[in-house]
Amino acid sequence: MTAALLWPALVIMAPLLLGPLLALGHESLKPFTSGRIGGDDAGALTLANYAQIAAPEYARYFLDTFRVGLISLAFALLLGFPMAHFIVRRAAPVTRRLLIGGLVGTLFLSIIVRIYAIAMTFGPNGPLAGFSRMLGIAPSSPDGAELMVVLGLMNTTLPLVALTLIGTLQNINPRLEEAAMSLGAPRWKTFFQVTAAMSLPGILSAGIIAYAFCISNLVVPMLVGRGSILFVSNLIYFRFSEVANFPSGAALSIVMMVLSVALFYGLLHLVRSNWQEAGK
Amino acid sequence: MPMTRRDFTRVVLTGSGLATAGTLTGGLATPASAADRLLVVQWGANWIEVSKQITADFNKTNPTQIAWELHSGGAAAVVAKIKAVWPNTQYNVLSVWDPVFRAMIKEDWLLPIDESIVTNLATIPDQFIQKNDKGQKMSVPLSTAGAFWGYREDLLPGGFNSVEDLLRPEFKGKLCVPYPIGLTGLFIVSCALQRGGNEKNAEPGWDLVKELASKGQIGMIATNNSEYINAMSSGEYSVGFWNNGGWYATAKNFPVKLKNRMPDNKSFLYNEGFCVLKGSPAKAAFEFANFFAEPKMNELYNMNLGSGPTQPSAKTNPMLADWYYKPDELSKYAYFADFAYLGSVMNEWNARWEREIVPLVRRG
Repeated sequence: MTAALLWPALVIMAPLLLGPLLALGHESLKPFTSGRIGGDDAGALTLANYAQIAAPEYARYFLDTFRVGLISLAFALLLGFPMAHFIVRRAAPVTRRLLIGGLVGTLFLSIIVRIYAIAMTFGPNGPLAGFSRMLGIAPSSPDGAELMVVLGLMNTTLPLVALTLIGTLQNINPRLEEAAMSLGAPRWKTFFQVTAAMSLPGILSAGIIAYAFCISNLVVPMLVGRGSILFVSNLIYFRFSEVANFPSGAALSIVMMVLSVALFYGLLHLVRSNWQEAGK
Repeated sequence: MPMTRRDFTRVVLTGSGLATAGTLTGGLATPASAADRLLVVQWGANWIEVSKQITADFNKTNPTQIAWELHSGGAAAVVAKIKAVWPNTQYNVLSVWDPVFRAMIKEDWLLPIDESIVTNLATIPDQFIQKNDKGQKMSVPLSTAGAFWGYREDLLPGGFNSVEDLLRPEFKGKLCVPYPIGLTGLFIVSCALQRGGNEKNAEPGWDLVKELASKGQIGMIATNNSEYINAMSSGEYSVGFWNNGGWYATAKNFPVKLKNRMPDNKSFLYNEGFCVLKGSPAKAAFEFANFFAEPKMNELYNMNLGSGPTQPSAKTNPMLADWYYKPDELSKYAYFADFAYLGSVMNEWNARWEREIVPLVRRG
């Protein structure tokens, strides 16, 4: 009976997810003639589209995507965990409601608005242009563009991470922390060995959601990357929308998906095995 | 009065039945006089503003409902969207430019212009109109537009006299240029012309772009008009290569000098306008296009875009007095690129830009 509950979702989702994915895979194998729109349906299937993106220069775009996404995620976790901890453990009820409302509220604000607001505030002519200079980065340099992309991604991932961790921390009984301290554990040790350790599944979930958002993002690098910070999504977009090279765009999409899934399972395996090891 | 479960079920079923019947017969009951609806694709910024203004006038005498959608990125993007669903596209009228007209004519997506409805086409010079292999007229040209080098005079009082000057250290990080597929590669062609090449011999252009990128001169690569206008208006960048619309929007607020008469380079001229997709309500679409092509409307349209009207009797914006050329200047300063050829190399140029230029800009 329980398994039967899965069927309605499977029946709807399978064609919605698998159908387009198969179509994408098929498109990625079609030959492309420059100047035409889309792949050549009559031509023999080929791996040329994959060979083209195997050029070493394209590795940089994949690395940039994963690296910038990771930096944004790291900052979102570093800032989001203390924020969630404060909201759950320290904040008065009114402050808690206000902070949670604020975090949820930012998610309702259009990403375009948020990104332009960041560009106006931290850009070369913005009131907080000094922020990037403080970090030794010229605001109008390519590194300045990367900083804008990191800030833009964090703008969405920080509320996501904080809200996910609020739920996690709420489920950790504060008496466990009190028990650790009553047995002589210092506050920092209690935090790392009880609170943070018990939050790991939540941190992992929040991290996966936020990282998936970062590496698949198109809008943020497009609006503030100034053409020098391009994610793989941007390359895919240009192929589909500007040069109509659907096969190459499809090949990039498939490669990106395979790498992302591999990375996801790799990280999951790494964290789970270490965490379970620590638990023993 | 209490309602039994049986009563409740009866009421719900009756209501549902009536609602379903209403929905199913809705299409049949549509009055014959109902207005057509057109989905028109237009650029953002000044283009959509003036188009809505003209449409308000159009709707005073014509009940056709106009819905707008904006181009996302370059106008070529709409081609991919149409291809994905063709022939079931929801678009009817497209505002595009020469290279995109050519791509759509090649795909056989456009309706030949019905000159019995688009009567204003008769006074538009024939060389502006795009035609198919059979010689049928396929576009309603509304503007003569161009792509030019230029700069903000308030930020760069000395300016520059040649594209080669832009390699000097004082221009480091100051340039805003289009992604190569924006303006269909005209930026690369301009650099090629600078070094003695052209669109079919673009290697010298690529060399110059590489020099600009590796020296850190290119500060931003813009992908659409709004990005370019924002970049130039914010003062982040002071030199650029873009279309007249981007320059005009900047020039409305800041002093701009177009370098369209450089001794060692040329600017590009082309046409923008409307075309009608097959499967559209043809009469309504052609009436709409005809209204925009009427001399008074053509004048209003172009006054707001910084482009030249296509109707000879329409006045040009006085602010653009020296933006375009007198007939005797055309051969010296204007270049008419082979867009059919450029369209055929865009894929290679895009890949080459990603492989060779972006890494240099990144390091610069």
